[in-house]
Amino acid sequence: MSSDLLPASYRHLEPWVDRWALASQAERETTRRASTGAQLKAFYDALVGEGDGIVAHLNALPLDQLPAPEQRLLYLMLSLAEVAPHVELYRGDPRVPFSFEEERFIAEHGAAPGFNGDLYALPNRPA
Amino acid sequence: MNKPVASRWAQQFPQLGTDPVPVDALLSAEYFQREKEKLFKRTWLKLARVEELPQSGSWKLKPLPIWDSSIILVRGEDGQIRGFHNTCSHRGNRVIWAEDGHGKDRRFSCHFHGWTYNLKGELVHVPQEEEFFDSFCKPDNGLAPVAVEVWEGFIFAHLDPQPAVSLKDYLGEAATRLEGFPYGQMTAVYAYRTVLNCNWKIAQDAFSEAYHVTTIHAGSFPEGFSAKLYEVQLFGPHRTSAVYMDDKGPTPTPVAALSHRLGTTSIAKRGTRVALPPGVNPTRSPNFAFELSVMFPNFLVHIMDGLYFTHQFHPLSVDQTLWEGIQYFPPPQNAGERFSQEYGQVLQRNAWLEDTATMEATHAALKSGAKKVMHLQDQEVLLRHHYQAVDEYVNS
Repeated sequence: MSSDLLPASYRHLEPWVDRWALASQAERETTRRASTGAQLKAFYDALVGEGDGIVAHLNALPLDQLPAPEQRLLYLMLSLAEVAPHVELYRGDPRVPFSFEEERFIAEHGAAPGFNGDLYALPNRPA
Repeated sequence: MNKPVASRWAQQFPQLGTDPVPVDALLSAEYFQREKEKLFKRTWLKLARVEELPQSGSWKLKPLPIWDSSIILVRGEDGQIRGFHNTCSHRGNRVIWAEDGHGKDRRFSCHFHGWTYNLKGELVHVPQEEEFFDSFCKPDNGLAPVAVEVWEGFIFAHLDPQPAVSLKDYLGEAATRLEGFPYGQMTAVYAYRTVLNCNWKIAQDAFSEAYHVTTIHAGSFPEGFSAKLYEVQLFGPHRTSAVYMDDKGPTPTPVAALSHRLGTTSIAKRGTRVALPPGVNPTRSPNFAFELSVMFPNFLVHIMDGLYFTHQFHPLSVDQTLWEGIQYFPPPQNAGERFSQEYGQVLQRNAWLEDTATMEATHAALKSGAKKVMHLQDQEVLLRHHYQAVDEYVNS
């Protein structure tokens, strides 16, 4: 594994990069659904105690100009946001319990890599 | 200060009655046809935000089966936003080829015979114009307009190009009491949509009461929200209410707490940091969650501390509805705010997945004819008012 996947102080999280440093919400959702409860819990446990430190590190840099290692670290945090309800609220169920078919729910921003909320700038956005 | 005391709405609004509500309005094709002709074709409908049309030539094409049409919204060189049917004046082909979408153009040119329109909808070029006859007058053959007016950055349209009632008069106090909220600054947008196999009112009903929260949201919001509505007000066919948290809220989970520390997050976060209009959360209670306002017939606006979200229910047929749920945040200034928004909007998405879980099964079950009415309790007052308001249009 390359040694600069993540910033130096977060190298210990590099084993999670391959599966969870995902650029779009759709990828994060798909990976979460394809995981077991145990996999979600393991990832959650690895990240949850690091949240404040990671954010302090990232907040020192402009959001739209993060170097690649920092960008991957942010993607890990966004995966934590995706995974957390399943660990904290849904008893490890990788899907939302008692819910509509997630696959039919279209997120207009879902496939956009690095999406920070600028929906109207996306190409091929439906009406 | 804690949340206000809940009222007994049936006493406050005796005109709504207390009888069970017939379900025929959800199932009857004949009733739906009257909704289409007498309600949807005669009221203002929200179609977009001004931020969607940032520049001269920016356009959005919105299919509206309830109008039997697709509407082009376009910003002109003069900055004004106009609306037109997507129909060429020659032989009726689509002027914009796509079925929906957005773009930026200086002209609209029909792909059939090349008739070309400017951003004001005026017909500016007809190939072989000299072959047409005296009965053809170019200035009379622009794109067919609809009326367009803007309230707080929300673009509404009316099928009648010269409607009897302006948007401002139509929305009345339901809109003025929500003015001044910084909608235009909340430009980080997360939008979800799906086609639901149910009547549009079944879909909209699920977002019009808090009675369901403790059961359907046992997953995403296991505690915290009051199941009652507060500050219900009716404004003609429009209505509003407030949703509050219980006095003793839950202890946030670790990631929820992190998200709350870092920024504007979810509807489950307490505390006021933005100036709400004076009529919204009038006591400035920290337990205030969000305002639930319905702009009749099908547009819901929820404003709250630091973000807002909307729902819209586009009827496609008597038993099919396009639902759109959109969350609007201030643009994140750093990674912490970005994380906070992601957590808040993912949790909200999951709650919407819970909300939409019952709708298709409800519609299918009602089609059996097994139940002729639904029993609404006092806290479902907004539904009762909705059915009555629809009925008044349909029977007008």
